[in-house]
Amino acid sequence: MEQSWQLDNPILGLVVVGATFVLFYIVGFISNRQSKSAKELYVGGSNVGAITNGLAMAATYMSLATFLGITALILQLQVPFIMLWIQLILAIPLITIIYGTSLRRMGAFSPTHFIRDRYGVSASIIAALFMILVSIMYALGQMIGIAITFETLLGIPYITGLFIFGILIVGYITIGGMAGATNNAAIQMVIIALMFIVPLAAIMKAIGASGWYFPPLLYSDMVPAMMDALPSFFDYQFSPKWYFSIIPALTIGALGLPHLAMRVYTASSLKSARSAMVWFAFILGLVFSATYAMGFVGVFATTTQGVTISDADADKLTIILNMVYNPEWVTALVIAGAISAGLSTLSGNLLAIGALISQDIISTLKPNISQRLNLRIGFIAIFAGGIASILLAINPPAFLVVSILWAFGLAGVTNAPLIIVGVWWKEANKFGAIAASVVGGAIYIIVSPFVFPSIVLTGHGVTDGMGLSGAMLAVPISFILLIVVSYITNRIPALSKKLTKQADIELIERIHGWKDIKPYRYNSTIGAGITVVVSAAVAIWALMPWGM
Amino acid sequence: MKAYKKEVQFTIWMTAAFILVGNVGLIFSIFPVDAMLFGFPVMYIVPILMGWFGVFLLTLVAGKIGNRIDDEIERENETLGRADEVKEV
Repeated sequence: MEQSWQLDNPILGLVVVGATFVLFYIVGFISNRQSKSAKELYVGGSNVGAITNGLAMAATYMSLATFLGITALILQLQVPFIMLWIQLILAIPLITIIYGTSLRRMGAFSPTHFIRDRYGVSASIIAALFMILVSIMYALGQMIGIAITFETLLGIPYITGLFIFGILIVGYITIGGMAGATNNAAIQMVIIALMFIVPLAAIMKAIGASGWYFPPLLYSDMVPAMMDALPSFFDYQFSPKWYFSIIPALTIGALGLPHLAMRVYTASSLKSARSAMVWFAFILGLVFSATYAMGFVGVFATTTQGVTISDADADKLTIILNMVYNPEWVTALVIAGAISAGLSTLSGNLLAIGALISQDIISTLKPNISQRLNLRIGFIAIFAGGIASILLAINPPAFLVVSILWAFGLAGVTNAPLIIVGVWWKEANKFGAIAASVVGGAIYIIVSPFVFPSIVLTGHGVTDGMGLSGAMLAVPISFILLIVVSYITNRIPALSKKLTKQADIELIERIHGWKDIKPYRYNSTIGAGITVVVSAAVAIWALMPWGM
Repeated sequence: MKAYKKEVQFTIWMTAAFILVGNVGLIFSIFPVDAMLFGFPVMYIVPILMGWFGVFLLTLVAGKIGNRIDDEIERENETLGRADEVKEV
């Protein structure tokens, strides 16, 4: 029987959500009273402590998908999706060790800031445009999720919820800047963790799980019943190739996400950035593990407990389980947790859009504008980015989480190689960067199912839709183009006038912490050669049949 | 030279270690294991535990070594003669 899932008392939900909004506004206002420069607006004055930053990193990363999308995909794909999700925790640690501390040392506002100094204006504008697209797709996903939450659970019409709450959220992010967003995101992380894990403990207790007091890991007593009812739950289903494709698509993809990298630049020092990464791994691991437990309990409840969840309601699994097993006020708190998760990610996205438009595009094209005007443009850009995502959300696409994960791949193709190779190889130049970003990005878009549905690599809807197959082809091509084109153009005398070789070399030495220049550093042709060979092998493997 | 080598090697090996502990599922897809651990199938719980505690431990190690390499770079900088500073390559 179809059942409509909605709070009987929507006022309760609204009061709880309203109270959290008031809290976020106050924190945002207090935190950002002194945002007088772009540095304060985008990187919180680079003065954020390790615990606050670690929590904020985790909250920025943990989008509304934690509450709405992941559990649905676990319901649909089961264990393979859990395996896919686990490696997302690598994002901040890898950003920090591969390039985050170098860019923090440089004083960058956004990854594109580095691309501009490293590869020049044209490459940085191309990269910035791709990053704006990635950030808008990401922000759009959060905006849609928030409006759907209000619609289905509190009974507020989608468009009304979208505009009222969308504008309220955009307002709070614009008022708060990065300092406000960071403090709020840290608070939101605590809310997300509590509102996810404590209600899950109550659900597990109601189902009869003996390990309810630590939900993220202690649910093994449900395993035998699960294996009886749904023996295929633990099956890996796909080939090693599918599991390998996760690395270029999502592990490398996350390295190109501007709103994550920006969190590293807010750190008060390099040591603090490294401590923040430790806090991030601990808290994210805790909530991720709880998410898998929630997905497991959801599948368990539907297969053994007679709870019926229609396909259309799969996204709401977490909230439905709370409605079935917990009192209504608990569900209201869970909804507030879900909205907090959406808000923290959205604020990261909008600040990234603000920095990209005002710092990386307008300031690049017009470097002589005053600081005051620059700051004002920043506020306008953040607000405009928010309004754009509201307007795009009027007619929402299906498969919310799938399209967010596709955006990871786009970041991995168009930005990650430019940053990684740019930081570690002096020979990388603007011709290579532009070729990698444009050609790699075009290939990734062409083989996605969204533009030409007939040109795809696997024909397996979710695999192509999440960009796993596309990124396995396009990410290595992007690395190859960047290295090979740079290597060749560096050796064409006619082009040397157009390159800023000495400045590039000085920049690379400086961001690694050196005060002198040595020709042997960051100049390995063998390393570049190995990267090209490995990338070529991966790209060829991606073109071979997937057998799906 | 020493600090530079350490920095490059640290980044390569640490990146490989992070990718490995975050993608234990890939290893099990190549070498399946039919056993139970803590009441769960090994192929389910080990990737989850490694993806949490394994990554957490690596961040501790990476933080420590990263800080030490920064200090070494700083020490090498201090030993530079003035004549060495930012010269043409």
